Amino acid sequence: MKKFSDTPKPNPRNPNTTMARKRARKTKEYRNWLDLPKDVTVSILQRLGAIDILESAQKVCMLWRNICKDPSMWRAIDMQNLGDLHNMPYDLEKMCIHAIDRSCGQLRDINIEYFGTDELLIYITQSTSQLRCLRLVCCYYITDKKLSELAAKLPLLEELDMTISSLSEEPLEALGRCCPLLKSLKWNQLWDGRPHIRIEGDEEFDDDGVALAIAKNMPELRHLQLIGNKVTNDGLQAILDGCPHLESLDIRKCFNVTLSRNLGKRCAERIKILRHPSDSTHDYGFMAEISD
Amino acid sequence: MALELKSSDNKIFEVEELVAVQSETIKSLVEDGCADNVIPLPNVDSKTLELVLDWCKNHVDMKLDEEKLKEYEDKFIEVDQAVLYDLLLAANYLNIKDLLNRACQKVADMLKGKTPEQIRETLNIVNDFSPEEEEEIRKENLWAFEE
Repeated sequence: MKKFSDTPKPNPRNPNTTMARKRARKTKEYRNWLDLPKDVTVSILQRLGAIDILESAQKVCMLWRNICKDPSMWRAIDMQNLGDLHNMPYDLEKMCIHAIDRSCGQLRDINIEYFGTDELLIYITQSTSQLRCLRLVCCYYITDKKLSELAAKLPLLEELDMTISSLSEEPLEALGRCCPLLKSLKWNQLWDGRPHIRIEGDEEFDDDGVALAIAKNMPELRHLQLIGNKVTNDGLQAILDGCPHLESLDIRKCFNVTLSRNLGKRCAERIKILRHPSDSTHDYGFMAEISD
Repeated sequence: MALELKSSDNKIFEVEELVAVQSETIKSLVEDGCADNVIPLPNVDSKTLELVLDWCKNHVDMKLDEEKLKEYEDKFIEVDQAVLYDLLLAANYLNIKDLLNRACQKVADMLKGKTPEQIRETLNIVNDFSPEEEEEIRKENLWAFEE
């Protein structure tokens, strides 16, 4: 638990005491970090993520405290964390709500990892109707029903990232209908793949539900990431038909797709940035449970 | 096409236009036709300007090699705090977006995971909170689990 002011007692041998700092100020190498232009400081502090801002940065000095109270600091809320919620001394949902309150309705961009719920989604959409970017990673408690319902409160949504969830394709229809500005969609799952132990006729291994919902409801899509999806070649064709403006497509770990001949050619012609089913996922942080 | 830039300590740097216009500030001057003479940069000393121009030149040269550029950037930003500070100010003043982002990220990386006191030590900042403000922050701390 980070203590508020654990300043050590004065000690001439300790280089970090007030006296030592006063001496340091006389050297040529001293810079007053509080003299930085405000938006540079904001840019630095925003990169720390909400937890470090609330627990540390805002407790450093009055200037930073005031910067951290400014609603404009909270237009983007990044609740990045390592997912070890059981070890954390904080209730992340409460912290997130506090951060949303600080935005005073100016929230545009939020990233929630490992703790999102329907209630939190309701809170977000009540705070602002102008959300542009929504990222929900490993938020297993968010339901199809609630997300479908709340789609109507996200009319300005441009980017949606639902990485590893309990969702089916159901919310995609409402999202497509209610979010005409949606340009980027990530709808990633954890699928083991294992194409080599496929059983003929087993529906569980083929599922174009998500692909068809996207193809049918999201004609303005520019960027699509569908990692670990059970989409087949048919589903992929439907996406190419239904999303004529698609520029980038990431179908890593989509083991039912074979990009040979016509489909491969069509993808190569249409898509500027294509990541193939067998491409490495080393830069995608959520495959811990799956061996490559 | 070459431009002449003058640092705060009166050193003149001759630079290709293509390199110099990585700075949006200089780019505007060029577009407005104000770049015929020496361009004075009173807010940037020669030591910092040399580094900044090195960044700009490499970003032109390595534009197509993402990996090489990343390697260069990572090495470039490994500098003393004072130099980092000066780079931040210069990048902000000259409006060089990628340098500003990289430098801000470097500072953020230095501060991540640190306690308030550790941050103060790192950046030589004084704790100037009043007891009232300290109390206000303590009261806000609704998210901590009871110990």
